[in-house]
Amino acid sequence: MNTNELFQIIVSHTREVLPELQDHPIQPEDRLADLGANSVDRAEIIMMTMDTLSLRIPSVELFGVNNIGELAEVLYAKLQTS
Amino acid sequence: MAVGIEAMNVFGGTAYLDVMQLAKYRQLDTSRFENLLMKEKAVALPYEDPITFGVNAAKPLIDSLSASDKNRIELLITCTESGIDFSKSMSSYIHHYLGLNRHCRMFELKNACYSGTAGLQTAIQFILSQTSPGAKALVIATDISRFMAAERGGALSMGGAYAEPSSGAGAVALLVSEQPYAFQIDVGANGYYGYEVCDTCRPVPDSEVGDADLSLLSYLDCCEQAYLAYQNKVEGADYRKTFQYLAFHTPFGGMVKGAHRTMMRKMAKAAPPEIEADYAQRVVPGLVYCQRVGNVMGATSLLSLASTIDNGQYGSPKRIGCFSYGSGCSSEFYSGIVTAQGQERQRAFAIQRHLDERYPLSMDEYETLLTGSSSVKFGTRNVQLDIDLIPGAVAAHAGKSRLVLDRIHEFHREYRWIS
Repeated sequence: MNTNELFQIIVSHTREVLPELQDHPIQPEDRLADLGANSVDRAEIIMMTMDTLSLRIPSVELFGVNNIGELAEVLYAKLQTS
Repeated sequence: MAVGIEAMNVFGGTAYLDVMQLAKYRQLDTSRFENLLMKEKAVALPYEDPITFGVNAAKPLIDSLSASDKNRIELLITCTESGIDFSKSMSSYIHHYLGLNRHCRMFELKNACYSGTAGLQTAIQFILSQTSPGAKALVIATDISRFMAAERGGALSMGGAYAEPSSGAGAVALLVSEQPYAFQIDVGANGYYGYEVCDTCRPVPDSEVGDADLSLLSYLDCCEQAYLAYQNKVEGADYRKTFQYLAFHTPFGGMVKGAHRTMMRKMAKAAPPEIEADYAQRVVPGLVYCQRVGNVMGATSLLSLASTIDNGQYGSPKRIGCFSYGSGCSSEFYSGIVTAQGQERQRAFAIQRHLDERYPLSMDEYETLLTGSSSVKFGTRNVQLDIDLIPGAVAAHAGKSRLVLDRIHEFHREYRWIS
């Protein structure tokens, strides 16, 4: 799996949590907060993504990223070492 | 042997603010604000502090005891992150104003929002140890939030727009004994999980800092790991079937809804419609009081437990699963049993009526409290409090025996009873 596929997984979970984004184009530079995701939504998107990836690490290790693209990169790195 | 909570009471403030009114005043997006799932927040008045809150929560419990039972209180733990002194324990003031037996161990305990649970578990161990058979313990979790206006909007200010509407003030008092009428603890059924993380903290007096995203992720990690630790200890435990109710630490209702959704997806592989029904059935009874008091830190998970006992259906005895999380962090999942008789006894404390009888602050009054010089800062040496600052609030005390802070004289706090 590459970072682009990871990005698409995050996008699909983002749209699951925020159905109003169904037809909204989402870019790696987008920040979840700017797309309308509140703190609970953001945490949920991260938890769902980790579930899909069967990634079993503390989610707090994913804290500190600035946008969706960076989240995909951090997840990619975690997948390589998990 | 049986152990648990004999009786518990809540003090949810003298005055409260309607949080939708606050959201409109602060020009927050009110449609998204609905997701917060909060209705009211208790606001501490200048002559109220964590000690008056704690005493006012405990007084009805103490008054319900016979003199001989009252004298068996041999442990008093005050659980808080709103301490008023680095050395002197709030338990000393509380012990004095409740008139407890001097042969009583007392101390203050801190672990962010986990403090109330730490106090409860410590008290349970004291009773179970049987080093003093028949003794009782009084555990008081008490916290207030006071935002200094200058702090709002700073880079480190708490969690952006949601922190102010969800931060409350309140206390929960528990009498722990061998007669667990209100909540019989499942002895040994505990799962705990903690590690170092700097999600929210109070590193300076009179203010708090934190990161909402980090705190949420940590809460969710702990919610899962503490429960899994419980499941490892308790044979046959099933997240969906073992507990007829779930009481969560509730920073705000929306967070609990999200945590429950995540847990049901992970632990029970449940689909959205089923999760929604389960939330209404098992979680909502515990949110009722939390939505009216706000986040009361160390007292919050116990507030949710009190809410679950008062607002649940107990035709047959029911098991409640409790999750407590404190930033920093330490967390625990534990459980206990509630019966119809226990609910009946608890309802005598009329917690809901107390919440109904609080004084509704206007936005002007709230801003006066927030921005005025009236609030008592940490380290105040001398001050005389004005009980008439918010005249309407005084009436909310009528007919009730309430402790208020009268003055601070050379750092010593002096309180008086009003009614």
